[in-house]
Amino acid sequence: MISVDGISYKYGDFLAVDNISFEVNKGEILGFLGPNGAGKSTTVKMLTGQFLPEKGSIEIMGYDVSKDPKKIHERIGVCFEEKNLYSRLSVRENLEFFASLFDIDADIDSLLKKIDLVKWADDKAENLSKGMQQRVMFARALINDPDILFLDEPTDGLDPISADSIRKIILSEKQKGKTIFLTTHNMSEADMLSDRVAFINEGKIVALDTPENLKLKLGKRVLKIRLSTDDGFKDESLMLDDPNTPQKAMDLLGSKKIATIHTQEATLDEVFIKLTGRKLEQ
Amino acid sequence: MNARCIRAIIKKDTLMAIRNNLLLIALFGGVLFSLIYYALPSDVGESYELALFDEGSSEYLEILSIFGAGGLDIDDFDSLEELTVAIENGDYVAGIYMPDNFDQDIKSGNVPTISLYYKYDLPESVRMSIEYILESSLEYLVLGIEPVINSYEVLGEDMAGRQLPLRELSLPFYIIMALMMEMWTISTLIVEENALNTLKAVLVTPATPSDVITAKGVVGIGYSLIVVTVILLITQSLRGDAAALFVCVLLGAILSVSLGLFLGSLTKNITGSYIYVTVPYLVLVIPGLLLFFQDVSIPYIKIIPSYYLINALNDILNMGASLAGAAKDLLIVAVFDIVFFALGIFTLRRRYS
Repeated sequence: MISVDGISYKYGDFLAVDNISFEVNKGEILGFLGPNGAGKSTTVKMLTGQFLPEKGSIEIMGYDVSKDPKKIHERIGVCFEEKNLYSRLSVRENLEFFASLFDIDADIDSLLKKIDLVKWADDKAENLSKGMQQRVMFARALINDPDILFLDEPTDGLDPISADSIRKIILSEKQKGKTIFLTTHNMSEADMLSDRVAFINEGKIVALDTPENLKLKLGKRVLKIRLSTDDGFKDESLMLDDPNTPQKAMDLLGSKKIATIHTQEATLDEVFIKLTGRKLEQ
Repeated sequence: MNARCIRAIIKKDTLMAIRNNLLLIALFGGVLFSLIYYALPSDVGESYELALFDEGSSEYLEILSIFGAGGLDIDDFDSLEELTVAIENGDYVAGIYMPDNFDQDIKSGNVPTISLYYKYDLPESVRMSIEYILESSLEYLVLGIEPVINSYEVLGEDMAGRQLPLRELSLPFYIIMALMMEMWTISTLIVEENALNTLKAVLVTPATPSDVITAKGVVGIGYSLIVVTVILLITQSLRGDAAALFVCVLLGAILSVSLGLFLGSLTKNITGSYIYVTVPYLVLVIPGLLLFFQDVSIPYIKIIPSYYLINALNDILNMGASLAGAAKDLLIVAVFDIVFFALGIFTLRRRYS
């Protein structure tokens, strides 16, 4: 559905995206992860035809973004990171306006129900909380029942319950066969939703695989043991891949001082740090 | 371009402009201009009202009036003091003091003395006219010399006796003011799209930058036509050649919208757009101001596009010009429209793309 071949983009002398290539298959969720300034938003802008790549090519559903952007726009939905609703229009008017741009008779009430904003349908967008506005923007991205969804931080600013409901909608869209390009800072969200994740750093893709594979290949699995001592507790961490770990674990078990014991899997955050030397939030 | 997208954006922009009171402000402006119209005099005083203190009850007084050819309305005063107070109060254009020995001087062949009193702000052209009339009268009385200008030719239609009152003269000015106010409407709609980042969302739908620009242009032109129609209706001035008037107002609306598109593309925030629009607005109304000061000439006034619009409006509304009669000015306005529209589209497309 999405085929990217060697695209680059510069802001003046600053190379924001440097010769990246990847593909996203139909029905797949690709998590696109990276710290601020890594090139995520620029990539999304190129994919959605807002920017033209200076090098390389992008094909969306078989159409070249540079040549047929409007054919692509008919069949995609974009949820932006920044709030961009018409503030003096109501929630319903905002959605109706975008439905009319697509010349479709959208079921606004169902959409409002889906994002739990039925009660606020006639409120002006400027009177909604940040989280509510985010939900309206999400609904707007779904208005044309798109084949591909570009979601830029779709749960940013939402309370945990709202964020969870958005994640459920994302998964239900995936189940309907939609392809989703998800940009997020939230590692657990990416881990939970994505079939594959791509790490972008300084304009380059440094890893692209399933979350499980990345964690297995690049993460550290640890056995965390908390021991009771006369002064309170003492924590021990044993690397599972260390050949000496089984013996050390047996010794500790024999000491009968263990308060708690559990394994800790690698996280995508740790994988990212290992790959780039940077934290994702940087 | 995509007609359904243009329709959708027009509908949305109309709603937005109503909700942020842009249309209300424009309509209020139109009503205000109409009220000013009614506050202005509806007739023209074509004679000078003079105060006279004739100390010696001159028998030659009638000759002064004859030389004024009906252009002097003279009221008698009983004292010089009363006369000067009336002049200071602005009740009369000028005061004439004819001393006691006026008739005696004429009869004895001496040059008589007349004193004139003016208020401080009387235009020099009026002073000179009054002085010319009185000097001519005195030359005739003393030397028997009649004025040498005894024939004249009026180029064009002679409006003597039916000059345009200030009220009618000012009408094109209000229309220009109302039309040019639409620059704010358009630039605000454009800047808002940028400021709210909504344009990004629109441009990842089937809508193109051209659709957005066209829709805003249509909204601006629509508003202009509504406001001008309101002014013409309230002032009961829907007159003259209807086709010529429509074309003229339409070209004026396009000029305003084109400038609004261009100016709106120069800034990213609402405050900036107000500043960018205010300066051109003030420049564009200058030709309209000249309607009130017809003896004032400003160099390079003809480089201001609204100069030709004012001329055309004045000719159509006040002189009964047809479309053909106003064609020259309208053609020049159309050229300005094309230039500014192209400039607006070029700068906006650069910004939107």
